[in-house]
Amino acid sequence: MKKSLRYLIALFVIFTLNFFIPRAMPGDPLANLLGEDYVIDEASLADLRAELGLDRPLPVQFLRYWSEILRLDLGYSFRFHDRVTHVIGARLPWTLLLVGSSILLGACMGTLLGAFSGWSRASLKNRTGTVLFLSVYSMPPFFLSLLLLYVFAFRLGWFPLKGVYASGEWTDILRHFFLPVMSLTLYLAARYYLIMRGSVIQERDKAYVLYARAKGLFGRRILFRHVFKNASLPIVTLIALDFGFIFSGALFVEIVFSMNGLGTLIYDALLARDYPVLQGIFLIITVMVVVANAAADAVYPLIDPRVRKGV
Amino acid sequence: MKAAGPAFSRTGLVLFLVFFIAALFADILAPFPPQERFAPYTPPDGTHILGTNDLGHDILSELIFGSRVSLLVGFGAALIATILGLGIGLVSGYFKGAADHILMGVTDIFLLIPRIPLIIILAAFLRPSSWLIGLVIGLLWWTSTARIVRSRVLQVREMDFVLSARCLGFSHRHIVFSEILPNIIHLVLPKFMLTIATAMIAEASLSFLGLGDPGMKSWGMMLNFAFQKGALVNGLWWWLLPPGLCITLIVVAVVLIGLSWEERETAGIAAGG
Repeated sequence: MKKSLRYLIALFVIFTLNFFIPRAMPGDPLANLLGEDYVIDEASLADLRAELGLDRPLPVQFLRYWSEILRLDLGYSFRFHDRVTHVIGARLPWTLLLVGSSILLGACMGTLLGAFSGWSRASLKNRTGTVLFLSVYSMPPFFLSLLLLYVFAFRLGWFPLKGVYASGEWTDILRHFFLPVMSLTLYLAARYYLIMRGSVIQERDKAYVLYARAKGLFGRRILFRHVFKNASLPIVTLIALDFGFIFSGALFVEIVFSMNGLGTLIYDALLARDYPVLQGIFLIITVMVVVANAAADAVYPLIDPRVRKGV
Repeated sequence: MKAAGPAFSRTGLVLFLVFFIAALFADILAPFPPQERFAPYTPPDGTHILGTNDLGHDILSELIFGSRVSLLVGFGAALIATILGLGIGLVSGYFKGAADHILMGVTDIFLLIPRIPLIIILAAFLRPSSWLIGLVIGLLWWTSTARIVRSRVLQVREMDFVLSARCLGFSHRHIVFSEILPNIIHLVLPKFMLTIATAMIAEASLSFLGLGDPGMKSWGMMLNFAFQKGALVNGLWWWLLPPGLCITLIVVAVVLIGLSWEERETAGIAAGG
């Protein structure tokens, strides 16, 4: 209960920050609120200023801002000639699909491989894995995407070079989605691989592992019956905390693969300096980060009895 | 997180030195001034080891000068973030009570801010310089340092030597700086290196979106131009791959150093109790 209050406060603060950004930045606040991709004459400019309430005192503007937010109105985009909520709403499902499938695949891949690697320390295979994931971990997501795109689409020609759907058939969508999902999956897997590896190495020397061994269990059995559970639980909270980071990664992957998601939207909005769209995306991602964290808080006691009993 | 062994940390140090020297002596090491123009789209050959781009700039020279931006922004941002995180963590953990509640509340809020989208907005409004990018990254990336420092300070402040210092009547400032700080600095240094890595990736990402400092061509910006001007679909690998590999290698170097310091630290705790 106390935590949900915290999340509400956080949302309030971040949304308030978002109110002040265009008003505090250099330049005409009108341009900052509308974006710079429009041509209007002086008279209607004054009208717009009045319509947006920019001639009113700041507290009035602030109340207005909140009443708009609560009515789910994020403003109008001159670049896309549509309401910001519509523009974002049309792209959001594609980004969510990319993010969702990559989190699932990446978390599984990272935790499993990381667990194996941490369990059986020093083999050559192990080292290669660690070096490989360490390099991926150190890559900006857009370069990882560029690399995969160059090798598998351009050199080998196995996948299309851009776009989400050419014909709209699901096999086609799958073919277009494979490399982007692969990029984000590897990017996330690298992160969870290193963390999981570290925590398995720590768990490995604990008393309960020794006990399991004394009981007659051996090798992989101990890893999956006992160690894996303890080491992988924190990853759930971590994924939730990482949500903003994961989304940011997805944006860059989408830009490289020219996918029809929020990433390319940001790119277009940047070129046109369409500030309402940029801010709208910021707010939507903020809300999702908060929701993901609240969800993790709700789920965590179900999977970890230690928290449930308050031990 | 744990990496493995001295081989890793040595690799990290050597890699880092290579980039550091490149940045320091860019004027001497670069075969050509980065603005000098030659025949565009030249593939790698004897004179232009990594070829030229669409404007005929020598790519190797651009790479060498680009290391300056990455190191500058990475170190600057990490320095700001670490000082902030250290300060907030120290105050929060040492004084506890109301200060702790407020500072940790603020930290929790900062943890929920999607940082890259926020920086994109700020950069779009401000058309920034490298200094500004470093500053903004630094102001946003202190949270995890603050948390680590706080939880360690909470332990250290209860230790006997701190208690005796308090009994002897030393000031808070003396206790924090002379008794507590030396006992957490080894925790902060690896975190500092990992923050450099994050800041470098953030800088590259911003530049890739075309939001970098127009006066200093960074690796991210090189990739932005290469990507926009179709280096990929035309197979101009020498324009596309080197900047990305440089970013990756410098981040690998910093991460390896950070991880090996972190490992030494946990090994120290295990041995020393």
